[in-house]
Amino acid sequence: MTTNTAKIIAKDLEMRFEDKHLFSASKLVFEQNRVIHLQGDNGCGKTTLMKLLAGFYQPTKGKIYAEGFAIAPWWRSNSITGKALYLHQHPYLFEGSVLYNLTYPQRFLTADKAQLQARTEQAIDKAQLRHLLNQAASSLSGGEKQRLAIARAWIIQPKLLMLDEPTSNMDKHSQHLVLQMITDLKQQGTGMLISSHQTCMLTKVCDHAWLVSDKTITTDNVSTLKDTEPTQVELAPALQVSAG
Amino acid sequence: MNEGWLALIQQALSLLFSLDPEVWSIISVSFAVSFAALAITLLPSMVLGFLLAFTRFPGRWLVTNLIQTLQSIPTVVIGLLVYLLLTRMGPLGDLKWLFTQKGMILGQMLICAPVLVAMSQAAFTSVDRRAWETSRTLGAPKLSAIWAVCRELKVPLLLAIVAAFSRILTEIGCSMMVGGNIAGVTRNIPTAIALETSKGDFAQAIALGLVLLVLALILNFALGTLRGKAEPRSH
Ligand SMILES: Nc1ncnc2c1ncn2[C@@H]1O[C@H](COP(=O)(O)OP(=O)(O)OP(=O)(O)O)[C@@H](O)[C@H]1O
Ligand SMILES: [Mg+2]
Repeated sequence: MTTNTAKIIAKDLEMRFEDKHLFSASKLVFEQNRVIHLQGDNGCGKTTLMKLLAGFYQPTKGKIYAEGFAIAPWWRSNSITGKALYLHQHPYLFEGSVLYNLTYPQRFLTADKAQLQARTEQAIDKAQLRHLLNQAASSLSGGEKQRLAIARAWIIQPKLLMLDEPTSNMDKHSQHLVLQMITDLKQQGTGMLISSHQTCMLTKVCDHAWLVSDKTITTDNVSTLKDTEPTQVELAPALQVSAG
Repeated sequence: MNEGWLALIQQALSLLFSLDPEVWSIISVSFAVSFAALAITLLPSMVLGFLLAFTRFPGRWLVTNLIQTLQSIPTVVIGLLVYLLLTRMGPLGDLKWLFTQKGMILGQMLICAPVLVAMSQAAFTSVDRRAWETSRTLGAPKLSAIWAVCRELKVPLLLAIVAAFSRILTEIGCSMMVGGNIAGVTRNIPTAIALETSKGDFAQAIALGLVLLVLALILNFALGTLRGKAEPRSH
């Protein structure tokens, strides 16, 4: 672990909505070069955890902070929003064409324009969006929207990426295209957190697992758990990190 | 009778197209005053609408309801209020704004601000949270994210502007009381129509009415095309 790996750390985390206690965890580290499968039943708080790490919500207790990212200039807030890229379960696309949506974030990047242009071209092919480029983004099918959102992330090459139930809308073919892009990102060192309540094509890329159950978040090494049933995952030797 | 009508409309059109100075001065007073009132209130009202939609502060509920109420106060009542403020003995009497365009602008600001605030609040409340989240997580600074959200809301926000502008451009109660219908100074389209009609000079009244009608048609058709492009969303 080098000191300049980008990571987001949550310490003494506790999350509640009003009186409803969702989960607690004493320490979570989401960092580059790791792909984590976030597991848990419906309503256990997977989406909420991702939104916490994305900076959309404030935790009820504890703190969440980033390390290893470039320091923002003084006139910009140094919040964690924008550090780990979060992809919604149902991606939101802006009014406009597919191409507009694909290139939307590039205005906020400092990367070389020509390089971005080249990556955009590659992403269009990887996600097979070329025939849809000038179509209104709102008219895409669920799976096409998902592919667009992941292609957009692939162009940016974020240090950290969170995918919320990425396969829920996708057929085998789309899953295959997305798997390619995810594998690329993994090789480029992007740290990923992929939520899904069952194993799927994408979770095979994961080499770690976080499990939300009984209001705690358990983290463990999942390399032995690949292809196992979710019920067995809970039985696996787990490193209990939560405060409970 | 029919011929009388035709003659009147002919007269009205020739007043407009011959660029009759009196008619056009009335039109320019109307637009100058209403544009000024809209321009001054637009940004602060939208910001307030945004804050009311997205922030929680004590008194928010009260402000929201007050603004709803202000929207439905008749313009003569606002005229009366502004008159009392601006009259020589009133708290703002020293400004000497009564029977001036400035006074009319003040009155129209009070009429259009509640419409703008309430309608933009409704627009911002209707926005999909994911628009903001997507923009922010893709690296947009706060201001750019606000802009992205406004872009998603361009139809309801434009609707708010058009509704506010047509309300002040066509209101008569406040303009009459605060402006005083002084020819060449504070006589605008609605007060002139009322006056000319009462004098029996229908041609000028019709000419001015036509201006409002054409404007209403243009604005609504422009909005209609915009709205037609915005398809209902599903996800
Ligand atoms: N903004 C909110 N206010 C109040 N309660 C909320 C809010 N967001 C989520 N919850 C509640 O928190 C719980 C966890 O929601 P969350 O969306 O994080 O679950 P999830 O693990 O992602 O479920 P799924 O597998 O169905 O996607 C749910 O019971 C939900 O009702
Ligand atoms: Mg979820």
